[in-house]
Amino acid sequence: MSELAIPTLEAQVKSERSAIGSLRMVQTASILVIALVIVSPLFMLLIASLKDDRFQILADMGSFRAFWVSNPTLSNFAEIGNLSGELAFGRYLVNSLIILASTVGAGLIVNSMAGFVLAWGSLRGRALILSLVIALYVIPQESIIMPLVIMVSRAGMTDTFAVQIVPWIASPLYIFLFYQFFAQLPKELFEAAQIDGASVFRIYRSIFLPLSLPALATVSILMGIESWNQYLWPILVTQTDYARPIAVAIATFFGQDSIYWDRAMAASVLMMIPILALYLAFQRWFVSSFVGSAVKG
Amino acid sequence: MASVTIEQVRKQYGAVPVIHGVSMDIEDGEFVTLVGPSGCGKSTLLRMLAGLEDISGGEIRIGGRLVNDVAPKERDIAMVFQSYALYPHMTVAENMGFALKLKGEDKAAIGKRVKEAADILALGPLLDRLPKQLSGGQRQRVAMGRAIVRHPQVFLFDEPLSNLDAKLRVTMRAEIKDLHQRLKTTTVYVTHDQIEAMTMADRIVVMRGGAVEQIGKPLELYDRPANTFVATFIGSPAMNLFEGSIVDGQFVTDGGARLPLPAGYSGDAVRTFGVRPEHLAPSENGVRATVVVVEPTGSETHVVVKIGSADTSLVLRDRIDLEPGQQIAVAPDLSKLHLFSASGTRVN
Repeated sequence: MSELAIPTLEAQVKSERSAIGSLRMVQTASILVIALVIVSPLFMLLIASLKDDRFQILADMGSFRAFWVSNPTLSNFAEIGNLSGELAFGRYLVNSLIILASTVGAGLIVNSMAGFVLAWGSLRGRALILSLVIALYVIPQESIIMPLVIMVSRAGMTDTFAVQIVPWIASPLYIFLFYQFFAQLPKELFEAAQIDGASVFRIYRSIFLPLSLPALATVSILMGIESWNQYLWPILVTQTDYARPIAVAIATFFGQDSIYWDRAMAASVLMMIPILALYLAFQRWFVSSFVGSAVKG
Repeated sequence: MASVTIEQVRKQYGAVPVIHGVSMDIEDGEFVTLVGPSGCGKSTLLRMLAGLEDISGGEIRIGGRLVNDVAPKERDIAMVFQSYALYPHMTVAENMGFALKLKGEDKAAIGKRVKEAADILALGPLLDRLPKQLSGGQRQRVAMGRAIVRHPQVFLFDEPLSNLDAKLRVTMRAEIKDLHQRLKTTTVYVTHDQIEAMTMADRIVVMRGGAVEQIGKPLELYDRPANTFVATFIGSPAMNLFEGSIVDGQFVTDGGARLPLPAGYSGDAVRTFGVRPEHLAPSENGVRATVVVVEPTGSETHVVVKIGSADTSLVLRDRIDLEPGQQIAVAPDLSKLHLFSASGTRVN
């Protein structure tokens, strides 16, 4: 009996294995299709930026030639990568980097301090302030943008770097993010540091801030992307090349009668590189902040 | 080192009082444990001593200095937390030296003091490790190291052994006691474990419901508990208590058993009759009892018997063959009785 049963069992296992195998194949194929859909426009962009004939780029767009370049060249990048003049994308890129670094740098300090005080400070009315901060988050940026434009123009701040940095440093979302992160750290850490003789600022600087690397990374990436992609605000508050960011400069290609696709593509690639680098640098922390947020500190 | 005086200290959260006028004097170099069930206010009292909780009324003095409104860092105390509260991103050495660094001491002095403390606690080889790379017992020792490196006037321990397994707890208990004997620093130690309190303390403060039930040396509390709460809280297995009244010079329990009393008691003076499990023994002229459970532990045998309707514990040093269901007679040692009034206070 048992001798007869063995082949049957083997066949069963075999058929189950082949079912699992084909399921895996379907899964892998689906993932590949999704990845292709997401990656192909980026790949197309990169390829187009390496072609020097803008009419050819347009002609290639509807076919597989959009994904192939026979004579790659960096001439588009050389054309637009100036620090001054008409196509000063080098300058716009530097402008955007200055704005990003300043906004993120100052934002990390201001928002983390605010979050820390709301979580651990002895400030009266903390709960009320926190509710207000959360309530502020639901107000869309666009709805306050015109009064803000009037304010900064009266203050004589238009066409400066400061006007593109200062209004976006403090953010209810990031304050709340830091608040949540700090609030879940154990109370005993705060108390132990108090007994050790640390001031509230010292506890923030020496104990809580070093422990909040995941939150710092998350906020850096989110703030960085937000700052990098700012478009409406810089259009309203910049008039010259002096502090114009790259996102605004790229848009100028598309207002012209004839679109220089080659330059636009190269400029887009330039714009993508820093934010991609920022993400890759902080990716580990960014992911762990979501995974680890439930783990006790 | 310093004495600690707590005088009529009260604490309330809003309208809810949690500490009701507690007073005690802790002498210089003394090891005092605050013990009691969960929610009795022992940790709150310790935290008030540390300055981590405001005081609603009364006075706390450390070394004669009134510290009611003094910040924790100005009190010259060190505290060991139940969760150890080690700084996760700092090495053992950095954890231990953090307080000294804040005081502005130079690196060489910090290194020397950290090394001294590490030698005392056998932490030398672990100084460069992070807390996550240590076992529970090692973390506990680092937490103590962080406290002793500062040479504080008072050590405060808040249930420091609760997170350790039973075996390690016994080892650490001995280490803390040994440390105290070497350093002679005034220590206030909070625990809910009466064995910890009994084995470590010079004096024990038993608390319940935000008030002190009794203060005394461990054996004083064991031998002469002031009330039925202390009587049952201190000692394991707990003291046997029988409710009843005096009839014809004997104590008749509510379950109908007649227990012998020393001469001189009558009327309503005694309403609760207490006897520790080791002071009850089989005796031919004793009270009838039925064996319920027999638990041999090797050195002694724990027996539960029914006297009247009450389950009663016995601890027997001698190895006697007993079977569940067996009828025996037991008698209390009359010189070791604990008699309490209707309000639960001791009368003998």
